[in-house]
Amino acid sequence: MHIKVKFLAYFRDLFQSREKIIALPEGARLRQLLGSLCDSAERHKAVFGKEESLSPHIVIMKNGVPVQNSGGLDAALENGDVIAIFPFIGGG
Amino acid sequence: MSAFPSGYHGKVLEVDLSRGRIERVPLDASDVHDYLGGRGLAARIFYDRIDPACDPLSPDNVLVIATSPLLGTNAPTAGRGHMVFKSPLTGMIGSSNCGGTWAPAFKASGYDVLVIRGKAAAPVVLEITPEQAEILPAGDLWGLDVHHTVSALAEGQAAGLRRRVLCIGPAGENKVRFAAVMNDKNRAYGRSGAGAVWGSKNLKAVRVSGREKTEIKDKEKYRSGAEQAYYLLKQAPATKRLLKELGTLGLVELIDLIDMLPHRNFQDNLHLDEDVERISGETLAKKLLERAAGCYLCPIACQRHTRVSDKRGEGPEYETTVMMGPDCAIYDLEAIALANYACNELGLDTISFGGTLACVMELYEKGILTAKDTDGLDLHFGNSRILEEMVRRTAGRQGFGDLMAEGSFRLASAFSHPELSMTVKKQEIPAYEPRASFTQALGYMTSPTGACHLKGGYAVSLAFFGGAKEIPRFSLLQSPMSIRNMHNLGILQDSLGVCRFTGFAFSLDPWARMASGVTGLDFSTAVLEEVANRVAALERLFNIDAGMTAADDTLPERFSREPIVVAGEERVIPPEAIDRLRSDYYRARGWDEEGRPAPGLIESLRIRRRQP
Repeated sequence: MHIKVKFLAYFRDLFQSREKIIALPEGARLRQLLGSLCDSAERHKAVFGKEESLSPHIVIMKNGVPVQNSGGLDAALENGDVIAIFPFIGGG
Repeated sequence: MSAFPSGYHGKVLEVDLSRGRIERVPLDASDVHDYLGGRGLAARIFYDRIDPACDPLSPDNVLVIATSPLLGTNAPTAGRGHMVFKSPLTGMIGSSNCGGTWAPAFKASGYDVLVIRGKAAAPVVLEITPEQAEILPAGDLWGLDVHHTVSALAEGQAAGLRRRVLCIGPAGENKVRFAAVMNDKNRAYGRSGAGAVWGSKNLKAVRVSGREKTEIKDKEKYRSGAEQAYYLLKQAPATKRLLKELGTLGLVELIDLIDMLPHRNFQDNLHLDEDVERISGETLAKKLLERAAGCYLCPIACQRHTRVSDKRGEGPEYETTVMMGPDCAIYDLEAIALANYACNELGLDTISFGGTLACVMELYEKGILTAKDTDGLDLHFGNSRILEEMVRRTAGRQGFGDLMAEGSFRLASAFSHPELSMTVKKQEIPAYEPRASFTQALGYMTSPTGACHLKGGYAVSLAFFGGAKEIPRFSLLQSPMSIRNMHNLGILQDSLGVCRFTGFAFSLDPWARMASGVTGLDFSTAVLEEVANRVAALERLFNIDAGMTAADDTLPERFSREPIVVAGEERVIPPEAIDRLRSDYYRARGWDEEGRPAPGLIESLRIRRRQP
């Protein structure tokens, strides 16, 4: 299956990309997707916190809904899902 | 000196412009413990002096500016003043906050609070130094824009001290109902029309300078809070780098991603990705930004000092960009920046201006307004060429600008379509779509000053960007308590004289130690929560006295009737959800079914009622 990943703010520099299409085996979960993206120590540190949980400074959305309360790293993925990765930010 | 708590001078400067009289009055020591400073203390002092039925543009209106015990220390972002008045836009409490350098300089002149009432016979400037306070003729300053006024008045020094200026521009002089009061040229007490109240009093500017120090009672306790605060600001990505790199406009793509970016006077939330990119924080950083800077004692540095060809200025920030931009179907960042510069120079709230123009554009689109009404100007959605021109006509009340100057509610009502004004309590809704989150909707509904980004309007950050604090988008159960907590944190930040954005790094604990350390009083987090509940109840009591009812805690009917697509589903805020959210919010506050603070609550919070 193919998952579209959108990067925002400083994740664009970190991943050298605004948007990527990632091919994954059927049944893969968010953990695998992020694992395949984070191929350097710097990238890994920005996404994962301690003990392989999500960093508290990151927000990940699947199809417009934050994953933190809906499966987190174990969230299931389906072909065509759009994942957005951005930092915890707020205000205006 | 009397034994007044440390951190305060214990003095109020009371100015009656009608009589030309200035008095120095002692601050009530029980008030500082119960209301802390800034927003809370200003509300208390305002409530004691104002006739709630008064015409906001009459001499009877009372302006109160209060500082906090943290001003004058090195606490991060502690440089903000808070102004309370009866709003000419909403007819309710106006409560407006501003960064910059004026408030710390005012406190250094030896006072905690400034009260201004009455109306001068001719335009005046108020001058305050540690040695004296006097009312001077404004002379040729009347009619000057903000930048020229500040340049003229800030020139030179008073006994070796820098002069700091708070002033209005032509928009305030012309009593535009959403005119701002400006500090350091580009910082604004923006919302609810404080500038019009200054104009109605013939008050052009207040110039201050000072050297009085703020005493700290328990230096160790204070330092433990301040050091933790600075440390945490360097840890959280938003305060460490994002706001400095991208400014608040760094939000725009995210807000679009979660379907909350308004379009065409909140008719929908549909934008092309490439359009949003044209107004993003990254585009601004690449094309317009000259440098980022911070307000007084602020390490976050979200200010954007920008340039459009040969013109320099500040902004645009997120709210300004979206209200003058996508909400008007405009994606031209340079045109928005130039209109923003004009708002700063003329002294105009960018949010209400953008919201009013978006309303006008919808009236124009529907044929309710034609070029005959608009002095021949083509005001269709997306026409960026008229942006700056409309700012000038509104500030000057020229032609159709005279109607714009009344705000969207009065304007749309004049054309028999009040339902097309996207306002709560007649104040324009800022740049987050309420149909995309119950918490967002309830934040707008329950703000005491009408819809406001700073009073419940950042619910978006709770809902989506808060990580562990995240709450479901459409939870009837969780929204009322979340919004109550958000209002309370906002009340306390405003009462401490500090910036909302510190909330992206930490909440109350460091502030509790700093406030307790400075004053020697018990401002534990539990005491601070009680202060917030007290201030919320007092603001509510004033609004009720001014004629507000529970029916005013609502949203324009568009948001209940016309669906938008949010995360793949059609959404409105149904009327029954509005009712339920509102009554549960009242219950969370200890208010009755009509939203009135119950007598038992007033007693337990020790709120003095007005003397009849």
